[in-house]
Amino acid sequence: MKNQLRVLRAQRNWSQADLAERLEVSRQSVNAIETGKYDPSLPLAFKLARVFETSIEQIFSDESSGNF
Amino acid sequence: MAKKFRDPAERRYLYRFLVAMACYAIFLVAAQEAFPRLHPSGAPAYALAILPAAPIIAVIAIVGLYIGELKDEFQRSMLVQAMIWGIGATLAATTTWGFLELFSLAPHVPLYMVFPAFCVFAGIAQGVLKLRYR
Repeated sequence: MKNQLRVLRAQRNWSQADLAERLEVSRQSVNAIETGKYDPSLPLAFKLARVFETSIEQIFSDESSGNF
Repeated sequence: MAKKFRDPAERRYLYRFLVAMACYAIFLVAAQEAFPRLHPSGAPAYALAILPAAPIIAVIAIVGLYIGELKDEFQRSMLVQAMIWGIGATLAATTTWGFLELFSLAPHVPLYMVFPAFCVFAGIAQGVLKLRYR
């Protein structure tokens, strides 16, 4: 699963630790999601979307769809 | 600077674990001291003998509670993965050891060592997973 987390973070000037605090997860978790090593559950994906004030589709894309 | 996230389940787990380990130490010494002095028999002997196992069984339940209570789903997934590796390694090691024992190629290891062996294997797996997902 590809994602836009790094870009979205950079736009807001947030570190991984900043995002982790907003999501109430560890920085390690943010890193694992961002690097594509871990796909978050739907509730966490919705939380990410809320934190970035966007939709899940704007953050994640199915690798085969080639949107990113 | 962002505050480091600390899952509240961690503190609860640590507290429960320490209480269980303290009980284990007390029960183990109590059983070891009581047996040669009181020479129990029948049901009390069985009860006294399995007394030190109770806190260990509690630790297994405490880890189960910890997995259920962890808010951080990625940490939970890492812990579950580490435990699966731990179970696999323990089963492989104890089965292998059992056959070595059968043919007198290894000394007898008491079964109560299986749980500490699992803890060691799961701990190693956790370390490896932490490095992988760093």
